[in-house]
Amino acid sequence: MAADVKPFVGSKAKPHQESEAEELRKEHLMLDPMPRDEMNQMVMEAMTTTTPKFWAWVIGLALAVAVLLFGTWGYMIASGMGVAGIRRPVFWGIFIVTFVFWIGISHAGTFVSAILRVFKAEFRRPFTRAAELMTTFGLAAGALYPLIHLGRVWVFYWMIPYPNARWLWPNFRSALVWDFLAITTYLLSSTIYLFLPLIPDMAMARDRSTGWRHILYKTLSLGWRGTEAEWFRLRKAISIFAIAIIPVMFSVHTIVSWDFAVSMVAGWQSTIFGPYFIIGAILSGVSAVVTILYILRSTMKHMDYFIRKEHFDALGKLILIFSMAWAYFFFNEYILAWYGGDAALKQIITLHAVGPSAWVWYTMLICNVAIPWLFLWSKKVRRTPWLMFIITLLVNVGMYAERYTIIPLTLGHQRSPFDWGIYNPTIVEVSIALGTLCLFILLYLLASRIIPLVPVWEVQEGQMSHTLRKIGKTEIPSVTDLE
Amino acid sequence: METNVRMILFKEDQVDQASNAIETLHHHGISDKDISVISGVPFSEKILGRPMSWTRVPQIAIAGAFFGFVIASILNFFVPHLYKLSVGGMPLTPIPTSIVVTFELTMLGLLISTFLGVFIEMLSPSFGPKGYHPKISDGYIGILFECPSNTDEETCFELQDLGAEIVDVEEVKQP
Amino acid sequence: MTDLLAKQKQDEKWGMVIDLDICSGCQACVTACSMENNIPFVGEDEMAYGRGMQWMRIRRYWDGEYPEVTPSHQPMLCQQCGSAPCEPVCPVFATLHSEVEKINLQVYNRCIGTRYCANNCPFHARTFNWFDYEIPAPMNSYLNPDVTVRRRGVMEKCTFCVQRIVKGRQGASAEGRELADGDVTPACAQACPTDAITFGNLSDPESRVSKMARGDRAYKELVNLGTEPRVTYLKGGKSYGG
Repeated sequence: MAADVKPFVGSKAKPHQESEAEELRKEHLMLDPMPRDEMNQMVMEAMTTTTPKFWAWVIGLALAVAVLLFGTWGYMIASGMGVAGIRRPVFWGIFIVTFVFWIGISHAGTFVSAILRVFKAEFRRPFTRAAELMTTFGLAAGALYPLIHLGRVWVFYWMIPYPNARWLWPNFRSALVWDFLAITTYLLSSTIYLFLPLIPDMAMARDRSTGWRHILYKTLSLGWRGTEAEWFRLRKAISIFAIAIIPVMFSVHTIVSWDFAVSMVAGWQSTIFGPYFIIGAILSGVSAVVTILYILRSTMKHMDYFIRKEHFDALGKLILIFSMAWAYFFFNEYILAWYGGDAALKQIITLHAVGPSAWVWYTMLICNVAIPWLFLWSKKVRRTPWLMFIITLLVNVGMYAERYTIIPLTLGHQRSPFDWGIYNPTIVEVSIALGTLCLFILLYLLASRIIPLVPVWEVQEGQMSHTLRKIGKTEIPSVTDLE
Repeated sequence: METNVRMILFKEDQVDQASNAIETLHHHGISDKDISVISGVPFSEKILGRPMSWTRVPQIAIAGAFFGFVIASILNFFVPHLYKLSVGGMPLTPIPTSIVVTFELTMLGLLISTFLGVFIEMLSPSFGPKGYHPKISDGYIGILFECPSNTDEETCFELQDLGAEIVDVEEVKQP
Repeated sequence: MTDLLAKQKQDEKWGMVIDLDICSGCQACVTACSMENNIPFVGEDEMAYGRGMQWMRIRRYWDGEYPEVTPSHQPMLCQQCGSAPCEPVCPVFATLHSEVEKINLQVYNRCIGTRYCANNCPFHARTFNWFDYEIPAPMNSYLNPDVTVRRRGVMEKCTFCVQRIVKGRQGASAEGRELADGDVTPACAQACPTDAITFGNLSDPESRVSKMARGDRAYKELVNLGTEPRVTYLKGGKSYGG
């Protein structure tokens, strides 16, 4: 039990044993329990504290979203798609690049919350909710793009399967309809998966709040008391979700990759796009988790208790592994094209490396491969939060460059040299892309003050299962499987 | 026989005492269906010597998955025949494309019905003594039981010996 | 709808043959097509950026070193593929395969503008209405009443002048006869000064297009992609491709 840890302080242990236990306590959140009501208090404080700086950010971001996203989008709807930089033959540009980017980021939450849960990686406990919020808001930002890039967005609802007098249904043979179904499934599932473990924390917040917060939490906690039946059902549902949402997550990004792979475009007809995109998405997502954890740790009260260097360390190792996996898939694609590809394909990969936009390709390789491989080996680097912040930001820049290479650069250089074209993005596209970034940050900021960011009951559950066990001459952390 | 609903609290690390308390209640003839245990962190029923709870969430989930599968089959194989539109040399209802739609809608059915199952089961009335105390989310295990009023005091003293905190009848609230 | 069509004894499968040996690259076909099909003018800057709306375009390649530089011309238009890659990817069925004429149809009313079809066309035959283009007076009184004027956000492409095909069919039925070879001429074929473009019914083995398509010089663009294009090119004039 967690109580076992306390007797070591002030007991008649030898000095080096005492400092060892103390070090383990400072290092591992799971071995450093605090009284539950103190932890609840910390989380509530983190949630309810709003500084003037916070409000400045919220107002600034709201203005940015209004102007950069909705204002510019309205202008584009009124004037026509021509204000964007797309043209023949590059009919998809920054909008689709950013769309794939956001869907990729959204894989963060599911990876942390579902895959790490299934593998019983205990270090995930304090940040599952922060990651799941990323999934939900990443999908919210990404799901705007299938609307933004439409030429006639006012009839977008024709893509939705609904009975109508003309018996006209969407074309289920089209990858875009699969996109619609997959993203809807993923958005609904991840919102529910965010909500289910939130219920006990809503009950905790309900007990500790007044006014509008109390009413909100009372409604959202669905009358939660914490009876055995309630816990049993919740645990059952969470395990069903954890296992079921993993194939959904894989299928979503595979289907997004099939928007490209099922087409006849030279350079896109590649069987490896499915796994390639999935690994890219997980790399992008886990890096974004680290970025957000750094920001949370530096800006929210008490977060430095919950998020420690061990988490950056563990996530850093994962990023290194996924970067290697990404490099494997990328090289797979590259060498096949280089060795035995037809003329169009060979020209495309040459263009990527030496053409006018080659800097994008090199950015991708440096940020996705060189930087993780050079720096993430070092334990010292992984345990330095601000370094991890910079590295993971660069990884996401690299992943954006990857999507830019795959989409506009390939489209502009197809089988007929007369029809090649260079894509010049305009301020409208950049503005809308920045607008969705601001939307993501704004939603996240608001959510961090409305729901508790740390799943306290899960952290407490983890702390209860961790003890120090004396084996031979040393204490070793050990985990009991309370489930 | 008049019964009172009493509530006692144990700190979360006093799991042994809590399970002993439940045994004591059993000795006093209070059956399991008159006892509710509430806690801020999940404890398996086996830890506390209680019968396993029931749930139909897995069955609801499978039913939902089946429903999603049926909808997907309708959309894939029936709907295109309403207004036949031929595209690209493909057959009207090709199987590879139906697999994608079927997978997505089946998973959607599975996951939404899991949530609805939890939702409905949580909102349905539960058996056993009702009652709540805010200290539960602060790390306490609460045991609610219906005690016949004649053995009330005696039971309470015994439980206090085990280290329980007796909650006043007025303080036992609803969530 | 089908009862309004004339009863045909033979099937229709419209196709085109373009003789590259006699094509001079004069762009008369481009102009005629634009006039027939109400194609808007996009302006010089937009044209330079690749936003031209022409449904028929002349691909011009330069061969040789200065001063012996010679061009080769190839008129490129929608190949009306039998197994069109642009059709299955449209989420709303805005591009379909016509059962009667066996060409590729574009339904302007249904298009929501995802532009997936345009990406998937290996011939880059499709164009998109980037803006609501204004057709300046007095050009707006020259609009062809048989063809819709498209608004912004909609894809468009060559239709083998389907309005002329339908008119030809209705004319033949009014005269109580079958469609004969040469009844239907699209705008590009009509305007070509060297008669490089021949149009007709490929399912009639005696029509001019069928005979020319069986010739020695015949080839099809990107035929190994398997899209079954209906346009056959005849080699010559520095285009020996295929």
